[in-house]
Amino acid sequence: MPQNTTIAERRAALLHAGAQVSRRVISILDPEELLQQVVDIICDEFGFYYAGVFLLDETREWAILRTGRGAAGAQMVAAGHKLKVGGLSMIGVATGQRRALIALDVGEEPVHFKNPYLPLTRSEMALPLCVGDQVIGALTVQSTEEAAFTEDDITALQAMADQLAIAIHNARLYAQNRHLLAQAERRARLLAAAAQVGRDVTSILDWHALINETVDIICDAYGFYYAGVFLLDELGEWAVLRAGRGEAGARMLMAGHKLKVGGISMIGTAISQRRALIALDVGEEPVHFKNPYLPLTRSEMALPLLVGDRVIGALTVQSVEEAAFSEEDIASLQAMADQLAIALDNARLLRDLEVAHAELLRTKTFEALATATLEAIHWIGNKALPVSSSVARLRTDLAALASADPERVASMQEDLTMIEESVRLILAVQEHLIGPAREQQPRPTLVEDVVKDTVARLGLPAGLVQYTVAENTPLAIADSTQLGRACGYILQNAVEALVGAPRQEIRVEIAPTNEGRFVDIRIMDTGPGIPEAELDKLWAAFHSTKGATHAGLGLSACVQILRQIDGQITARNVPGGGALFEMLIPAFSGELPMTTLPHGRSILLVDDDDAWSRWAAATLSGAGNQVARVTEAVEPAAYDLILVDDALETADSTALVKQLTAAGAGGKLIVVASYLRVERTTALLQRGVRDVVLKPYTPAALAGLL
Amino acid sequence: MVKDAIKILLVDDEPLVLRSMEKTLLRAGFDVETAGSARAGRFRFEEARTDQAPFDLAILDLHMPNLNDQDDPNAGLQLLSVLLAVEPTLPVIVLSAFDEVSRAKEAVARGARAYFVKGREAGLVEIVNEIFNP
Repeated sequence: MPQNTTIAERRAALLHAGAQVSRRVISILDPEELLQQVVDIICDEFGFYYAGVFLLDETREWAILRTGRGAAGAQMVAAGHKLKVGGLSMIGVATGQRRALIALDVGEEPVHFKNPYLPLTRSEMALPLCVGDQVIGALTVQSTEEAAFTEDDITALQAMADQLAIAIHNARLYAQNRHLLAQAERRARLLAAAAQVGRDVTSILDWHALINETVDIICDAYGFYYAGVFLLDELGEWAVLRAGRGEAGARMLMAGHKLKVGGISMIGTAISQRRALIALDVGEEPVHFKNPYLPLTRSEMALPLLVGDRVIGALTVQSVEEAAFSEEDIASLQAMADQLAIALDNARLLRDLEVAHAELLRTKTFEALATATLEAIHWIGNKALPVSSSVARLRTDLAALASADPERVASMQEDLTMIEESVRLILAVQEHLIGPAREQQPRPTLVEDVVKDTVARLGLPAGLVQYTVAENTPLAIADSTQLGRACGYILQNAVEALVGAPRQEIRVEIAPTNEGRFVDIRIMDTGPGIPEAELDKLWAAFHSTKGATHAGLGLSACVQILRQIDGQITARNVPGGGALFEMLIPAFSGELPMTTLPHGRSILLVDDDDAWSRWAAATLSGAGNQVARVTEAVEPAAYDLILVDDALETADSTALVKQLTAAGAGGKLIVVASYLRVERTTALLQRGVRDVVLKPYTPAALAGLL
Repeated sequence: MVKDAIKILLVDDEPLVLRSMEKTLLRAGFDVETAGSARAGRFRFEEARTDQAPFDLAILDLHMPNLNDQDDPNAGLQLLSVLLAVEPTLPVIVLSAFDEVSRAKEAVARGARAYFVKGREAGLVEIVNEIFNP
């Protein structure tokens, strides 16, 4: 500022420069840009050596240098230069006392902070930046000339400073408004997406379709990289992935991905704490499960799926952007998750209702069949017998005529084959209806023995079936014949499923479950599994996945058999292939009555070394009898009683019975079986055995036998 | 082989079953006479004894009109007891559409030599042969 002008000219020049500054800064709306430019504008317009803008911090205790002219300014900003409000510095006084100060000979001025970044300063003016009554900071302008400012200059420069304060305030308001607008827009977009998801998911009533389409709907509506839906397992211990976006989701589903509730994963935490969690830099977030299937995830939000007070699972949404989610997003995304949870729960209820309805229909269908069974069996047996007998006779006759007209005879043979197949199916229906039609006689039953007898009865190859039996498995309450029939259907299914399978194995696991209230029989095969679409239809009467050569009543019969003893049967596929049929049989929970067994007898057990023979030998020996166990015919004279297990794995019970009766032991020979068949029973009785009875599984039943 | 000498009384109220089994047994070389009820069966049995040509074996349906011509699920057992009372060594096969072990055991206890479930694959002829050629 030239010194040789009149006061009026100087004031006019200052006002002009101040007006110029005001005009230029007022048009800059971005606060950062304004601060960047303002010091240069001031210095350029007024010809100052330096200008700097201090703004008060949140505590209003410090004036922080936000921008300064040139390299000195940049260095001081970088160094975090700040001055105490109300302190001794000119800025401190200007901000503390809301007044402008001038230091004309800075080297002598006691209030001036000797600033090593600005060694040439000889004059300085500090001007408070005020908006209304509030100080927001201060402006320092400095000159290399001594006595560069006069008291008269203050008015003009303060006017400029006031304009600058308003410009800074306006820019801040503008930025704040822009932020609020952006927030409002984001919120509106999230709510619109939530509404879209809500509309889409509530319009899907089929549970399977809903769960599978949900992740795509969410990703499409929000633009997420990945979304996955976890639902709690039956015990509420694991969150099991039920749907996941894209290839990653498909692979995780294949792998049976699940997370422990209450574990360190975000999903596990969201469920256990019933609150949404955000991981903004997932690589560093300790609660994040580092998922190799989703390497690009940089932000994740886990939202609990809540229906009222009940948590049914959790939703994960993931973004490739860091810090993609904020706390403010939780409300709108949780609203979406709440709608999803309700839609899933409603669809599940609808599905349960449909399953119950279908179950009712299936049950009623089979019950209707079973109710009519006694008459039906009589009718079927009577009508079918002549057909098969007639076919057999016709075959013999045709064989004699074959040379007369070979082609016609071949055609007639084909027709007979078709008739035979139809009759076979009709008779198979009869067989399936026979069991459940009977009134069951549940009793304490050793499930392991029934299953192993069934395997022996079916004549399955040695080693095909592998057993795992828990030592603490209790007796079950079941009709062993009917349970054997049900096990037979399931095992036969498993055997048929293994045809052509690269690995052929059937695993049987028997263990207590539901706190010992049930005995769990799990029969798994290594076949191709059950097609998903067939899983719900398996139990329907006359439905077969094996084509027209099967009657499709075996599994219906199983349902009926299990239902009659308050048990249940389910089927599902196991990860890695193969089908799993699971039967729950009520466990025997009462006290076995005190029983006094006969003693002092010599008893021969003809049986494999299995659970039943070990129990029977121990029980009989414990009562004071001499017990021997063999799987071969021995001289029977030495024994008072011979018990032969009809289902032997390591020997032929028929041959053994023949040898023993031939040796004159028929009168003391009792054949025991978990599954009684009429032809077998009559044949054995005809052979001269004393009796053929159901195998005893309790001391009382054993005493009754003796 | 003594087949030609074996004379069988076949009693069942189902005409088709009766005729079918008759044909099967005739082809197998047995001499077969039939009756459609327990009462008719007892009549044929007694008539044959009177004619000095008694039956060697009887095959009796369980469920058919009884000795009083009333529909009876145990008519075969009733006739079985009557026949064995007259001729205790007569081999009798009980024929039924039901595979009930308790009924089979009762039939055996009453003296039946076999219990044949209609429709099962085990052949009737084989059972008869088994009785005469154990």
